[in-house]
Amino acid sequence: MTDFLYPFIDADERDAGPLLADLAASARDKQTVSTRLTQKTLERNAPALRAIASEMADRLVRDARVFVFGNGGSSTDAVSLAALFATPPWGRPLASRNLVDDSAVLTALGNDVGFDLIFSRQLIAHGHPNDVAIGFSTSGNSSNLLRAFAEASGRGLLTVGLAGYSGGEMAGSPHVKHCLVVDADSVHRIQEAQAALGFALWEAVQARLSNPHEPLTLTSPSSISQPRE
Amino acid sequence: MASEGPESQRLESRDPADIGEPLALAAMALARRLAAGATLWCVAPEWPEHARHVAVEFVHPVIVGKRALPAVSVQGPDAVAALRPLVRVGDAVLAVSPGHSTTTLALMRRAEAWGVMTIWIGHGDRAATAAADHVLWVDDDDQRCVHDGRLVLRYHVLWELTHVCFEHPGLLIPSSCEPDEVCITCSDEGRLGEIIVAGTRTASVRTARGVETIDTMIVDPLAPGDLVLIHAGSAISVVDG
Repeated sequence: MTDFLYPFIDADERDAGPLLADLAASARDKQTVSTRLTQKTLERNAPALRAIASEMADRLVRDARVFVFGNGGSSTDAVSLAALFATPPWGRPLASRNLVDDSAVLTALGNDVGFDLIFSRQLIAHGHPNDVAIGFSTSGNSSNLLRAFAEASGRGLLTVGLAGYSGGEMAGSPHVKHCLVVDADSVHRIQEAQAALGFALWEAVQARLSNPHEPLTLTSPSSISQPRE
Repeated sequence: MASEGPESQRLESRDPADIGEPLALAAMALARRLAAGATLWCVAPEWPEHARHVAVEFVHPVIVGKRALPAVSVQGPDAVAALRPLVRVGDAVLAVSPGHSTTTLALMRRAEAWGVMTIWIGHGDRAATAAADHVLWVDDDDQRCVHDGRLVLRYHVLWELTHVCFEHPGLLIPSSCEPDEVCITCSDEGRLGEIIVAGTRTASVRTARGVETIDTMIVDPLAPGDLVLIHAGSAISVVDG
């Protein structure tokens, strides 16, 4: 028996009950943190969401397209938001697509010009001055997003960034007109709040498009976010 | 299908809105499978991005130092056809899918024949989820929860808790009688099998024990993909698949 040498590796632990109770409590704590962070984030970003929704609606009535992108888990947030705009559960379908799903395009660009350019080169090909570019990052520092925003703003696109922590380089970039920041330092909690931000943005755009001349009032954050939790 | 380990009876969740106990049990069961060499197969027939998100969490952990675990996102609307050739006995299958998904229900119904543990993350009507071993549910019909982070929270926390389980190696040893292993006292009461090749009076069938040849005289005719209940070497009934 060598357990006394390695007391922190309890290979003889057999009763899972205490651990399961800890895990359950931990899950509930994380849910509480996520819900509070989401509500706080939506409140803090409400003025920016209103401004972005107005600007996007002005462009969308002039046939704008909305391009959405991100890396890793954030790429799946980009897919989700683009799908929400294009094939919404209610409201009007809008021209939106993600820049992360086509493996032929991504591997061609990654191989030939480098990973930093995988989004900016697509915006060169597809972006028109009236369009909208939305990028998801948790760090706010992804270089391929910063390159994409520089390309997009140079071409006249409206640029919207979602970032975590204190916004990273995206928050200070002159090429990101609106940066929605989730002030947290857990990648997972940031992504959960970013998803809610994306949904609130979509809802605000739909509201603006259906009532273009009325002052925009956002759904209260408590009903936007996690109403039953 | 039963959850794994005796503790599942003790910790059975009573409050349907509580995420804690279902997540704890799912994480422990998943950690045990992964520790034994399983692959985690992720599908989301209706929302493919969620399957990709789960897989990338496990393969490329956001926290430096956490081990990379074998998770795969399998795409396409027919999750059953996509997974059938890939899964091995002992693997885990995780679906992110609404409660009304007929594709996901067909997948969950095959889990016993394939010898895999299942986790179903979704929202809406949860009636069909009885077919899954572990259910992590948002009791809300509103489709906004697909986009607003509530489904994501569930698989993020599943990943976080699974890694906590890896810090308790003594608890990752399989319990003595896993539901899908052959047990002298409980085997052959009526095992589920999926038909691979249907012949005359016999068929090649996939079960949690591997590929078997069974007598099908009682239930003929059969077609590949049919689910049958097997007793003493014979198919005794056809099961909804």
